[in-house]
Formats: sequence, structure tokens, C-alpha cells
Amino acid sequence: MSFPTFTFVQGAWFFLAFIPLVVLYFLKLKRPRVEIPSLALWQSVVNDQRVNSPFQRFKRNLLLLLQMILLLLLILALMQPFISAGPETTDYLPVLVDCSASMSSVVDETGRTRLDVAIEQAQGMIDNLRGEGKIALFSFASGGRRITEFTDNKRILSRGLEQMKPTHRASKLDEVLRMADAYSRTAPVEKVVVITDGNLNDRVDFELPFELDIQRVAEGGDNLGITEMSARRSGPQTWDIFVRISGSSEDPLLGDLKLFQDGRLIGKEAVSASTEDAERIVFSVDTDKEALLQALLEVGEKDSLSIDNQVWLTLPKPRPLRCRISPELYSWQHAAGVQSDVDIDAAKDPTAPEYDVIISDSEDLKGVTAPVNVYNGVVPDDLSDLISVTDVDVASSDIQIVDWTRTAHLLRHVRLRDVQIGQQTAYAEGATSQDLEERGYEVLIHGASGPLMLQRRRGLETDYYFLFNTDRSTLPYRIAFPILVSNVIQAGMSQASLSEISASPTGVLPPLNMEADRQYKITGPDGSSDTVNSTSTGRLTGVPAATVGKYDIYDDGELVASVGTGLLSQLETSLAPVEELKFTEVEVRTDTAEMVESDLDLWWSLAFAAFLFLLLEWWYFQRMKTEVTA
Amino acid sequence: MADSKTQLTPLFSNSILNRIERMRLSPLRRLTNRSRGEHLAGKGGSSTDFADYRDYAAGDDMRYVDWNIFARLRRPYIKQFLHEEEMHVVIVVDASTSMMFDDKLLRARQLAAAFGIMGLLNVERVSVYAQHQQEGAAWMLPPGSGRPRIQQLLSFLENLGGGGSIPIEQAIQTTLRFHRGRGIAILLSDFLTFSDLTRSMNMLFSSGLEVWGLQILADSEISPSLEGDMRFVDSETGETLDITNAGELLGLYQQHRDWHEDTLHQQCRSRNGRFASISSSQTLEQILFDVLSRKGWVLR
Repeated sequence: MSFPTFTFVQGAWFFLAFIPLVVLYFLKLKRPRVEIPSLALWQSVVNDQRVNSPFQRFKRNLLLLLQMILLLLLILALMQPFISAGPETTDYLPVLVDCSASMSSVVDETGRTRLDVAIEQAQGMIDNLRGEGKIALFSFASGGRRITEFTDNKRILSRGLEQMKPTHRASKLDEVLRMADAYSRTAPVEKVVVITDGNLNDRVDFELPFELDIQRVAEGGDNLGITEMSARRSGPQTWDIFVRISGSSEDPLLGDLKLFQDGRLIGKEAVSASTEDAERIVFSVDTDKEALLQALLEVGEKDSLSIDNQVWLTLPKPRPLRCRISPELYSWQHAAGVQSDVDIDAAKDPTAPEYDVIISDSEDLKGVTAPVNVYNGVVPDDLSDLISVTDVDVASSDIQIVDWTRTAHLLRHVRLRDVQIGQQTAYAEGATSQDLEERGYEVLIHGASGPLMLQRRRGLETDYYFLFNTDRSTLPYRIAFPILVSNVIQAGMSQASLSEISASPTGVLPPLNMEADRQYKITGPDGSSDTVNSTSTGRLTGVPAATVGKYDIYDDGELVASVGTGLLSQLETSLAPVEELKFTEVEVRTDTAEMVESDLDLWWSLAFAAFLFLLLEWWYFQRMKTEVTA
Repeated sequence: MADSKTQLTPLFSNSILNRIERMRLSPLRRLTNRSRGEHLAGKGGSSTDFADYRDYAAGDDMRYVDWNIFARLRRPYIKQFLHEEEMHVVIVVDASTSMMFDDKLLRARQLAAAFGIMGLLNVERVSVYAQHQQEGAAWMLPPGSGRPRIQQLLSFLENLGGGGSIPIEQAIQTTLRFHRGRGIAILLSDFLTFSDLTRSMNMLFSSGLEVWGLQILADSEISPSLEGDMRFVDSETGETLDITNAGELLGLYQQHRDWHEDTLHQQCRSRNGRFASISSSQTLEQILFDVLSRKGWVLR
């Protein structure tokens, strides 16, 4: 508890009113006149009294004392004293309020959520604004959003707090900290306050330029939620559906998991999960067409977070993988031909505008696209100044693979040792692999004098570059080659969602293949609608999906597709706070801060006390008056 | 002398008067005038009270030779008798306004009459000086002696009114401007004055007067019952004094009153006098026949 401070300190000037009060009191005091024979004795008595206790008259004069107390209380009330419930906000202070999904969890029986508590805490800071202090409000989940500019207008700030709603997104601190950092360049910011439940990634890729005060709100109750949902094709028209259930408490929580296919219940399982033991449920679904699945978790009253109880997943219509392979790449055609459900187009010119996989010996794809592109014996044009390729005699030279990235998707289970290559790649003078990385390329296979295979990601597309021609190596004759081709096919199927598909978390909808250059209207689960145009290739991308639920896509009022999202965040479902955030150079503890309440105003207490003293004074005056009269 | 059926004076009853007539003042020292009176002087005189013998000296009155002694011792001795001289009784009555509270002046007039009667019946020269500021009223009864003077004394005191703001010290000085003669000065006052009485007392003493101070206070002065804030108004001067929470000052007031009384006592005693403080609520009988009698002021 701190000492009271005053909002209106200038009110202390009113203490000068004590002077006229005392003067007027003694001037206006109505004393009963008593005639006595002589003042001789009384004069000496009074003189003696004044000498011995000059202030006695003040002390003994109860009426004056009451009046002085009354005036004192009134002046103190006028000065608007208050007991600060927390530190005063006297500087420019960005306040970052966590609005992630876990902030929706209920913290008490009244139904208050963590976000409600956080907003109360932020309101306390706003109430504590003093002097030149200004606050800027930010909300964040997976991204950041500025709610207000730096302002000391408490009404604007309070209105900004009212705008804060819980999102269905996982929390990520980096972006909003960068926003705060950008704002700190426009105002002298020394400290940033983050009000969160601590349900954050413990590693934050950000270099703190200011002091970070992380205030953790109270933790809520237990939670059970779906943290993962995926499907894997187990047959031509059969899918295995995997649903992972996680809990936030040490004791297992029970619930029922239901699976709906296009609104029809097709499976139900009792589930239980705790922090230590998640449960994974597998359903089998047969479908020969596109299907919309919904996993719904039903938990009792103990579930404090409801938005992680449903996940939507769209199963694509089964079809073979469309693979375009250059006509001269016989080895690739042969290896891919043995894979099931693969349609290979090895014609001179492409027969379709879009494929799932393109394996080409030229960088010119002739106007077709695919999410997975494999270039054989091609050096990207933008790397021609860094890498050179020359033919060598295999018999006279020993060009071998030195190392490769075994975890790369394409090179899994591929053993490349002892593969001989008839072309030699070399870095230009002074060039290193770092130069390649700076241009967006990652080296997957290292040769003795230069890179042999590169990978580049371009949005949803991935390009793989074999800088040497595989046909000028012993690779096609190794067991590793069909495995490599199989990996390529799997990558293509995965990209095309033909073999595996995972439910999409909130944020944006997964890319959809629609008709080219058309306008679609997307209606969200909360009733909101948005209009998005498809690309020239028929891709519908970047559709925002902030809320968990089903999104219907309309083309001229006709429902053409439905997709759904889920929270799907192990971190959010766990509701577990991190104790420490690791930044680039420092670590910040996420201590649970005491609730910052509003300042305790004392003026009304003082005013009430003054009223009581007024009554007391009135009673005393009346009593004294009665005695004198008697 | 007093007739029980006819009231001689409104100041007191005949029965009290009868008792007063049998009383005499009892001065501590015999300060007398040389003129004959009924007070026995310490020196030799011609009264019937034997005092001493001394050798005969030429020129002595032969009538005072003790012939019985001469017959036995063959030497003449003169018989000496106590000399009876006249004593002044000066009664100073404080008749200022302050004495007009609670029968203080009445009690002073009664006592003055009583002392005066005692003096007159004892062949003393009695004079009364009353200090007041009443226009045209008598303020002095000149010295006189003898029983016939009693009527004048009573008449003077019966008609004595009060008023004014003459303090007691000024009253004493005024008295001494008119009075000549040794004896007793009886001061009947409340002695509530802002000034010091030492000078006045010295003047009385140096004038051959034994100072008897009798302080007459009202009960409201001896034990005031006051509470709260009030404004005191001096009855004589009209001056005011604001008192805050008088109840808490009563203790201090009593201390000052005691100290004032002790001072007066000391001033009288140091001048071979007497001092007593009485309440105006006490009856005359209580004062005369009890208080003053026990203190030796009067003899019965």
C-alpha cells in the first residue's frame, strides 16, 4: 500500500483558509456575558494560563477543533487524494494485450476469461495515467494490431480496450514487439508492458531495445482440446483420419470425440488426455469424392476453452498425380512410371497447364506450373555468376558427393555415397554457400568443389535443382534413385493433398483450386463474408480465416466449396504459461503480476467524514447552546 | 438598652445588638491617643487597675504614695496605675460596585455597625469612611464617641449605598487624608483590586493604625460554578475578559484566590494586624460570634 497522493495538489492553497477560520471564529464567537464583581482575579488567572500554555485555547476549544477538522477534510477531499494501486504510468508506455486463443479460457465461476482479467489490468494502468504519461494499446495473437496511438485520453483508451476481443489464433510475440519497436522511434519509450497469460513460445526472435515487463494474468481451469487432425490416404478411396487430443491438467480429462462427414456422424470415441499423455484417435473414412470432415470434442463443465473443441478438414477428391517429365529424361520416366496413381506426361509439349510435379531438364517450363519442380542438370540463371559446371571424364576424375542433407524431404532414405558424377560444379572465385543462401537457395548436396543440388522455396512452390545431369552420373543405377523419385512423387502428392492432408489452423484458408479469374464470396462461421478473386491459374489463396469453423465459398450465390479450420495449437490448448522468454540476448521472466486495480479514490471518504464532522459539530453546538441557555 | 419589641436598626436584630453591646474590640497592640479614654495604656496612669511600684521621686504626687509600704519599709514608694487612653476605631467600608454582589455590602454595613457600636460603647472614637461614588450621598462619619453617637452611626450605615469603581487602596488614602489618631483601622472590602496594597497598608501602619483586614467575598467568588466559554464583564469598569472553557480554569482560579488571600494575610500580619476572609452568605451571628470571636478579634 503506498501513501496517498493527490490529483489536485494546487488545492493545498486552500489550507490558507485556516487563517480566516481561526480569526473569524474568535471574532464571531458568541460568548455569554457574565458580570462579575471584579476581573482582578480572573485576569491573573488568564494571564497565568496564557503564559503556561499559549496554545491551550486552541486545544481546549472543541468547536474550533471540529471546524478545523471539517475544513481540513474538505480541503483534502478537494485535493482528490488517492491511493495508487499500482505504479503510476508517467511515461510513454506501449501496452501489449494478448488476445490469443488461450486468453478465451475461463478463469473463474463467473465466466470471466483471461482476456477480461487482462483488460481490467490494462484499465488499471489507464486509470493510473499521470502527468505526461501516454499509453498506446496493442493487441496480439499470431500478429499484432495497434488499437490506439499514444494518448492520455482515457476515454479513447478505454474504448480501445473494449475493441479487444479474443481471437482464435495462437499467440506469437515477435510481430507485435516489432510494431512496438517501430513506435518506440516516434516516442521516448523505455518500457513495454505485455499483459498475457504466458502461453507463449519460450523463444522469441527479437532483440529487445527496451525493457519488457511481462505481466501474467491468473491461470484458468482445465482444458481438453484437439491439437492435431490429419488424413492419410490408405487406399484409392480410403482415408485414415488422425485426431490428437491434448489436455492441460495433470489428471486426465474425459470427453467424447465425434467425427462428422458432411454433417453426418460417422464415428464417436471416448477420449481422455492429460498434460503427460495425449490421446490419438484414428478413424477410417471411405469416400470417392471431396468430403468435409468435422471433428467435434464434447467435454464437460471443466473445459475452460471451447474454441479448440472442433476442427474441420476437407478431403480432396481422389485422383492420380499429374507428373510432367521432360521427354529426354528416360531414367526419371522409368522410375516414376512404376509408382502407383501417377499420370506421366512425357510428351514434347505439355498437355495440361498445371501439374503436380514437373521434372525438367530445362529451366523453361513452357508455361506450365507445379508446386514441386525438379530441374535436372540446370543451373539457375540468377546463380550463373556464382556457379559453373564443366564436364569431366569420369574415368580420370573422381567427382563424388561429399555430404548431403539427409533430413531434406527429397533425400530421405537416399544414400548418395560413392555416386560418381561426370560433371563438376565449382564456385566462382570468392563465392561461398552463403552467397547462395542470400539469394534464396539452400544447398542439399555438397560436392568437393561446389554444390550439386539446391533447393529454393517460392511461396507454395518448391524448386529442386540438380546442378549436374543425373544421366551423367551413376545415380540412376543406384538403389537411391528410385527412392529419390519416390520422394519426389510423395512430395508432389503431399503438396497436392493427394496422400496426406492436415487440417488448417486459423489464419488463412489453405489454397484452393477454383476456376481462374473469378470472384468468389467466402462466408465465415461468424457470419462475416469476404470477396476474393482467384488467380489466372485458378488458385484461391490468402483468404483470411480468423475464426474456427466452416467457411463456405460461393460463386454467384452457388455453394461451390466448403473448408474449415481449427485452432490446432498444442501450446494454446495446454494453457500452460512459460516461466521465461528467451530473446536474442536476454531472458525475461514472466512473473505473475499482481492485479493492477484502479486507484483507490479517497475524496468521497473524506467528504463523508467531513459530513459526519459537520453533524458532530452541529450536535455539539446545539448542546453548548442549550447549556448556556440553561 | 435595646428594646426587644422595637427594632432599632434594620441592619440586625435587637438580640444581636444586645450581644454586640457586651463585646469589645481586641487590638493586638495598644495604639491609643493620650487623651483619656477607656483603653488602659501600658504606661502609668490613674485608673483603678494597679500596675507597679517605683521609688518616690521629688515632685511626685503624694496621693499615690503607698503608705502601708512606707510604714513597713520606711521608704516611700509610688503606686502606679494603668493609664486609660482613648483609641480610634477607623472603619473603612468598601462600597464600590463590586461589593454590591450577593449581600457583600450588606454584610460590610452590618459588620461596620457592629464594630462601631463596640467602639462607641467602649468610649472609643469611632469614625466610618465609605468609599462610593454616589452623588450627594454621605461618605464619611466623623470621629465621635459616646453612646449617643450610636444612632448617628446606625443611621449613616443604614443609608449607605454602593456604587463606583474606587479601589480599596484609593479609599485608604482618602481616609488617611481626613483621619488623625491612633487605633485600629478596620477594612471591610473584597480586596479585589488590580493594584498592590502594600503602600496603602504601610500608610495605615505609619499613621498609628493597626490594620484589620476583613475580606468579604460572595459564594460566586469563593466557589464559582462556571462552564464553557464566556465573556466576563467587570462590574466596576465594564471591561471584558473572554474565558474559554472556564470549567477547566477553576482550579487555577482557586490557586490564585488562595494566593491573594495569603498575600493579604501576610500584609496585615506584618503590620501587627489581623486578616480574615468570610463569605457574604455567612450570617452576621456566625461571623461575629463564631469566626471573629474565635480569631480573637472581639472579646465577649
